[in-house]
Amino acid sequence: MLAGVFRPRLAASVGAAFAVLTFLATVFLWYRGGGDAVDVAWAPAWDLRFAVALDGFATMYVLLASGIGFLVLVYSSRYLPLHLEYEDRPESEMTRFYGFMLLFMGSMVGLAMAQDLILLFVFWDLTAVASYYLIGYDRHDPDARASALMALLVTGITAVLLLIGALLLYAAYGTFSVPELAERVKPGVLLSVAGFLTAVAAFAKSAQVPFHFWLPRAMAAPTPVSAYLHSAAMVAAGVLLLGRVYPILQESQFLMDTLIVTGLLSIFVGGIWALTRDILKQLLAYSTISQYGYVVFMYGLGGKYAAAGASFYVIAHAMVKCALFLTAGAVTEATGEDKLGRIGGLRKPLPLLAAASGVASAGLAALPLTIGFFKDELFFEAALEKGPLFAGFAVAGAVLTFAYVWHFWGGLFLGEPRDETSKPPATFVWSVAVLAGIVLLGGFFVEPFARLAEAAGAVSYGAPTSIEPAYRLDLRTENLMAAGTFLLGTLVVVSRPLWDWVAPTASWLGNVAGPGRLYEEAIKGLNRFSDYVHRLEVRDLRSRVAAILLPAGVLVGAGILLTPTIQAYRVGEVGAQDLPLLLALVAVAVAALATTFSRRHVTLALVLSSAGFVLALLYAFLGAPDVALVAVLVETVLTLLLLGASKLIPYELLRRQAELPLENRRRTVFFSVVAGAFAFAVVWGTLSQPAAQDILPEEYVRLAPEAHAKDVVTAILADFRGLDTLGEITVVALVLLGVATFLNRGRLP
Amino acid sequence: MKHVSGEAGQTTSVMTRTVAKLLFLPTLVVAAAILVKGYAQPGDGFSAGVVASLGVVLQYLAFGRKEAEKLPIVRYAGEIAFFGLLGALLLAAAPVLLGDPVFTHYPPPGSDVIYLGTLELITAVLFDVQVFLLVFGFAVGSVRAIARTIADEEEYQGPDATDARTGDLAKEEGR
Repeated sequence: MLAGVFRPRLAASVGAAFAVLTFLATVFLWYRGGGDAVDVAWAPAWDLRFAVALDGFATMYVLLASGIGFLVLVYSSRYLPLHLEYEDRPESEMTRFYGFMLLFMGSMVGLAMAQDLILLFVFWDLTAVASYYLIGYDRHDPDARASALMALLVTGITAVLLLIGALLLYAAYGTFSVPELAERVKPGVLLSVAGFLTAVAAFAKSAQVPFHFWLPRAMAAPTPVSAYLHSAAMVAAGVLLLGRVYPILQESQFLMDTLIVTGLLSIFVGGIWALTRDILKQLLAYSTISQYGYVVFMYGLGGKYAAAGASFYVIAHAMVKCALFLTAGAVTEATGEDKLGRIGGLRKPLPLLAAASGVASAGLAALPLTIGFFKDELFFEAALEKGPLFAGFAVAGAVLTFAYVWHFWGGLFLGEPRDETSKPPATFVWSVAVLAGIVLLGGFFVEPFARLAEAAGAVSYGAPTSIEPAYRLDLRTENLMAAGTFLLGTLVVVSRPLWDWVAPTASWLGNVAGPGRLYEEAIKGLNRFSDYVHRLEVRDLRSRVAAILLPAGVLVGAGILLTPTIQAYRVGEVGAQDLPLLLALVAVAVAALATTFSRRHVTLALVLSSAGFVLALLYAFLGAPDVALVAVLVETVLTLLLLGASKLIPYELLRRQAELPLENRRRTVFFSVVAGAFAFAVVWGTLSQPAAQDILPEEYVRLAPEAHAKDVVTAILADFRGLDTLGEITVVALVLLGVATFLNRGRLP
Repeated sequence: MKHVSGEAGQTTSVMTRTVAKLLFLPTLVVAAAILVKGYAQPGDGFSAGVVASLGVVLQYLAFGRKEAEKLPIVRYAGEIAFFGLLGALLLAAAPVLLGDPVFTHYPPPGSDVIYLGTLELITAVLFDVQVFLLVFGFAVGSVRAIARTIADEEEYQGPDATDARTGDLAKEEGR
C-alpha cells in the first residue's frame, strides 16, 4: 500500500511479490520439516497466547491463500484499471483495493496458523472486516454496499457465537489452546453446545444452509474479489475452522450428524439453484455453496477419509472455482454481458479461454485426467464407508454438479456465436490457463496434493491418515459411481426442457420463505423499531430526562419505604475544621437553586459552571488535588462550549425564548422534587454506610512507590489501569473521526 | 447586538489580543509542566492536553478563525491526535515482542530509574505524553472542524444567515 501511494500501478506488483514470497517461504518451511511455531503469552493473566504454528493444516491453507492470491493479484493488475476506467473513478482507488486484499491475505494466513481460539476469533473478524471493504469496493453502488453489509452482519454475528463457544470451553477446561483442548475434552452436553456454536459460525462463513443467502448477493463485488474471497479464501475460512477444531468436534455424534445434514442440504440447495441461474457469477456462487456442502458433509462422515479427503477437496475446489470465476470475468470483459442467456458460442473467438476453462470445468465436474476426478473419488469412498444411502446422496449431488457445470461451460462456449466479442486482455486468459494447467497436472501427478491433504488431515484427525487417490481401472464401486454420475448427468442435461420449470419454482419459494427473506425482514423490523423509539424519545428534551428520573425516583422511594433502612441513615458531627467544606457545599446548593430561577441562557450557563467550580474547590478541600484539577479543566471547557453554543443561536431567538413563560410549571416542579429527593436519599444512604472493605485503593497506594510514582492517581491512569486508559483514548480518537466526518458532510477530512 | 462571524479580530479589543498572544506560549509551557510532573505531583496527560487546547481556543477567540488556523499545531491537529494514539498502541504492544505481557512498563519495579531533574524516564510518562497528544489533537481538531463548518455555512448563506435561521426556527415554534 505504501508503494501505491506514490504510483498506483506499482501496488499490484508489490502485492503480488508479497504473495509469492509467502508461498515460497511456506513451501520452504514445510520441506524443512514444518511445525515451526511462535508462542508468546501476551496476557498471561487471562491465559491468552499469541500462538501460531505452521503445522500441516496451516501449511495447506497458507499455500492456498498465497498461491491463489498471487494469481488473483496478477489478474487484478489488469482488471482493476479497466474496471475503474469504466466507472470513471480515479486510479488512486487501486491502492485501497490492494491494501485490503493484502490485509485479507494476511489475516487468512494468521487464521490458518492460529492455535489459540481467541486469536482465531480475532483473525476471523479481521477477515470479515477486510471482506466488507472488498465486497463494497464500488462504494457508489448501493447494491454493493447492502451486500457487503449483509456479509458482514451474517459472519460477524455468528463470530460472536464462536467466541461464546470458545469461552464455554475455557470455562470447562481452562485453556484456549486448541492442541491442549483436543487432549482434554470429554463428550458431554457442554462439548456439544460449544461445538455447535462453533459449527454455526463456520457454516455462516462458508455459506452453508441456512446462512447461505449472503454469498450470491456478495457477487456484487469486482470479479477478482469474488475469485479470491468466494472460492478460495473467505468461504474456506469456515471449513478451516471446522478442520482446526475437528478433534474437539469428533467427540460428539450429535455434531457429526449436524455436519452431515447441513452438508447435504447445502449440496442440494446449491446444486438445484445453480442449475437455474442465468447470471454467471451467481451460478458460480451457488456452486460454491454446493461444493462446500461436500466438504462439510465429508467432515461429518468422520473416519480417516473425512479429514484428509475434505482437505483434498478444498484444494481441488479452490483452484477450479477460482479459474471459473476468472473466466467469468474475462467473458464479461470480452462480451460486455454477464448473463448466460445472452452469451454463447465463444469457442471460436476465444479458443484458449475455452480450452482452459474447459479443463477447469472438467475439474469441477470430476472428469478423469483432472484433479477433480480424485476429489470425487475420495468423496465416493467416504460416502460408501458410511452406507449405501449416503452413496446414493453422493451420486445425486455429483449429478447435479455435472449438470450445472455443463450448463455453465456449454452455455458460454458452445452453440452459435451471438454478438461480436472483443478479445479480453491476455493476462486474464493466462491466469485461467495457469490454474487449468495445475488442475490438469493434478490429474496426472496427484502425489504432492495428496501429501498436502494428508498432512492437513493428520492435524484434524489427530492421527496420521493416508489417502491414495489413483486411477484404478477395475470395477470397484467408486468407479461405478463415477460412471453412473456421468451417465445420469448427461441424461439430466439432455432432458433439460422437462425439468426447466422446477428451478424457478424452487427459487421463488426460497425468495418468499427462505432465510434471505428472514434477514431482510429482521433488518426492516429493526429499522422500524429504532425509528419508533426515536420518535418517542426525542420529542422534548425535558420529557426525555423526566422519563428517566421519575421512575428511578419512584422505585428508590418505594425501596426505602418498604425495607427497613431507616437505621442506615446517620448524621455525623460537624467540627470546626469542616466549616470551609460546609460553606462550599452551601454555595453549591445556592448555585443549583439559582439555575432554576434563571431564564436567560448565558446566565444559566454561568451559574451551572459556578456550581461546578465550587465543587472542584470541594475536591481540593478533601485532599484530592488531581480530581480538583481535572474538575476545573472540564468545567472550563464545558462552560466555553455552552457559551459558544448560545452564541451560535440567533440572539432574537434566545431573547424570545427567555421571555416565554414556563409551561407546565407544576409538572416540572414535581419531577424536579422527585429527582432531587431520590438523589438525596441515595447519597445520604451510601455515605452513611461506606463499603466495608476498600482494599483496592489501599493496594494501589501500597504499590505506587514500586511503580516509581509518588502520585497514585497518575500511576493508576498510566500504569495500573493503563489498558482502560488505552481503551478510553481510542474512543476519543474515534469521536474525533466521527465529529470531523459528520461536519464534513460525510466525507473523511 | 449584531451576530458577528468568525472575524472576531474586529470586535475584540487590543487588550484582549495582546493578552492572548502573550499567554499562548506560557500556556503551552504550563501544559508541558503538568505533563511531566505528573508522576511526582498532581497532573496527568489529560489535564495537560486540556490546558494546551484551552490556550489554542483562546487564540481562536481573540484572533478569529483565519489567524488561528495559521498556527502549525492547529493545522495538523488531526495528525497529532492519531500519532498520539499510534504511540500509545505501540507502547502497549512493544512489551509483547520482548516477551512480557502486554502493556508492561519499563523499568520494572525495584530497579533504578534515570532522573532528569525531577522527571523520571519511564515508559509510563511516555504513555502520558501520548494521552496528552491525543487529547490536545482531539480538542483542537474539534474546534477547528466546528469553526470551519460555521464559516462555510455563513459563506454559503450570506450575512442574512441570522435572519434566515430566526425565520425558520420561529416557524417551527409557531407550529
